[in-house]
Amino acid sequence: MAREPKIPKIIEDKATPIKKEWEEYARKGNWTVKGYEMVRALSGPGLAEECKEEDFMVVYRPHGVLYHHSYGLVSKFFKGLIDKHLFGTKCPKCKTVYCPPRVHCWNPECRVADTEWIELPLRGKVHTFSVMLFSAEAFLEMLPFVLAYVQIDGADTAMPIQVVTAPTNVFIGQKVTIKFREKRTGDLMDIYAVPVKGQKIPADSCLQGHEENVNDLKRDMENTYAFLDKRFGIKKKDVEKRWKV
Amino acid sequence: MSDRRVAILGGGLYRPGRVRYDNAEEGVAMAYKSMLQDFPNLDPREIEFVQSSYFSDHLNQQLCMAWIVQDYIGQHRKGGYRVEAGGSTALDNIINAYYLIKSGQYDLILVLGWEWMSEVDTATTNEFIASASDTDWDFTVGGFYNGYYAALETRHMQLYGETIEDLGRLAVRNRNNAVHNPYSQWRAEHGTGYVTLDDYYKDRIIAWPYRRWNCALISEGACCLLMGSEKVAKRLSNDPMWIAGVGLGTDSMRPGDRLVDWAYHGVYKADEKLYPANVEKPKTPYPEMANFGFAREAARKAYAQAGISDPLKELDVAELFAPYDGVELCLYEDLMFCPRGEGKTLIRQGLMERGGELPCQLSGGLTSFTHPVGATSLLQTLFLHWQLGGLIKKKLGDATLQVKKPKKAITTGHGGTGCQGGVIIYSKD
Repeated sequence: MAREPKIPKIIEDKATPIKKEWEEYARKGNWTVKGYEMVRALSGPGLAEECKEEDFMVVYRPHGVLYHHSYGLVSKFFKGLIDKHLFGTKCPKCKTVYCPPRVHCWNPECRVADTEWIELPLRGKVHTFSVMLFSAEAFLEMLPFVLAYVQIDGADTAMPIQVVTAPTNVFIGQKVTIKFREKRTGDLMDIYAVPVKGQKIPADSCLQGHEENVNDLKRDMENTYAFLDKRFGIKKKDVEKRWKV
Repeated sequence: MSDRRVAILGGGLYRPGRVRYDNAEEGVAMAYKSMLQDFPNLDPREIEFVQSSYFSDHLNQQLCMAWIVQDYIGQHRKGGYRVEAGGSTALDNIINAYYLIKSGQYDLILVLGWEWMSEVDTATTNEFIASASDTDWDFTVGGFYNGYYAALETRHMQLYGETIEDLGRLAVRNRNNAVHNPYSQWRAEHGTGYVTLDDYYKDRIIAWPYRRWNCALISEGACCLLMGSEKVAKRLSNDPMWIAGVGLGTDSMRPGDRLVDWAYHGVYKADEKLYPANVEKPKTPYPEMANFGFAREAARKAYAQAGISDPLKELDVAELFAPYDGVELCLYEDLMFCPRGEGKTLIRQGLMERGGELPCQLSGGLTSFTHPVGATSLLQTLFLHWQLGGLIKKKLGDATLQVKKPKKAITTGHGGTGCQGGVIIYSKD
């Protein structure tokens, strides 16, 4: 049996350039004050009319860091994404199929059984979804998008995946195909889903079942397009192109 | 279990706002100072232990802020620590202090809570909050609680047929309560006029099915509570509010895992059966991604301790931790105010409105009053203390929100996507 090496060995390195880039940020002086404002504002615990005005000094202090983080024993899943494979795990005792994978079964009856890796098909269905018209900073340029929880065929759990389609088309139970993005970095954004063609939106779909829902959604998507144009110069037609996969 | 009784003796608040410039320790100090005015017989040195709650270290570039706050108000030397559990941070803080007093370790505890959430821009605040989700699996795909919660609500909506109008009714009700609460952010920003469903429909969707009005506020504010045993309660307070029951619960970190939730599998059979035939059933039908199992667990325990069998009838006022309006609707079911799927009926019958069977969110709740996370449940508890003590007119200068002679109240806490939380039942006697 091979002995465990005392020092972990890097067997593939796709990180060195980014480490160099981020060294800059450390040198830029995180946590030190880069500028300030003097602000006259209300002070006090009570109602505004009971507060008095005080002068406050407001400092600007950056904080940017580069973490290195092991995906642990589910590394195989994320390396799989880079290599265009979708993996899950299966408990040999209760047969539960996990995607996201767990290397240990969480069924109390199985007493933390080790699971086995299996390759899953690039198909699934939408378990539930939201249409995002605003998001965290890192995702703003992707707006508007469908954040869905997709149950991969053969898996018992669901996983968040963006469905690339016109937001007014998505519904619960929609069959989707999983696609890999051209540029893959080893996180869940390496994949996205597109609806299988030829499906009819069910009459009882909670979104499209009420006409005003769709009208209101379209109205507010226009607001999002205006924001995208102003902030990033992204046009509505560019967004709509994304959905023609 | 120890038969010692534990009470909320009173408290104080620092009015929350979207941005406040007094800093956190000063805000807490001012809340504490206003609390002391209600306790002329209290020598601050009598306080035996200090518990603190704030949610995020990221928001203020500060770990261990509780140490700053505890010494700032001169309450150091004695024991104390911080409790943290996402959105349930503040409720768990109260429950933890309850356990410490109940066990006989202490008789008098000061409970502090605060959050300063506007030191980074709104999108980054949301990003920091979302880092309470699983950052390997959930955060990477849209990273935003509004989105996760919206997806949970979509599922419930598909299963049980509530509509945008039902969510709108809650949003409108919260605002029309908040205009009578001068400490509410809604009133500070929008004045005292009532709003209607038509106004709601004009509001912008941010994560369908949620509009801005359906979502929790971002806030800076603080609150403190004084908690004590029966031994000190009568001397210090004219209107102690007793803790009649508490319960805690948890569910999976990732909501997507709840489709095969072995810990819940087969536990709530009646709820598993209340599943519509036209939607494909996951292996574990309750709570799956539609309801909040942690709340059922917590409620069961709290009701058993408080001797409650028909919560809708027996409870008189509720301040629920509902960061999104759909959460409130689902909680009606998980807290057993109604069977699964009937949350919408309670809304349509107006039972949870002012003057209804069980008025909820009279303060305006997290969407219209305020949501400085580490203080939120303290503020809701303080509001219930004013309700049970008949103090609403005195504290708010307006009696509109006062429930007539309430005896029993409920509050909940709620972290992550329903990953952890609790229930407290308060009683006047």
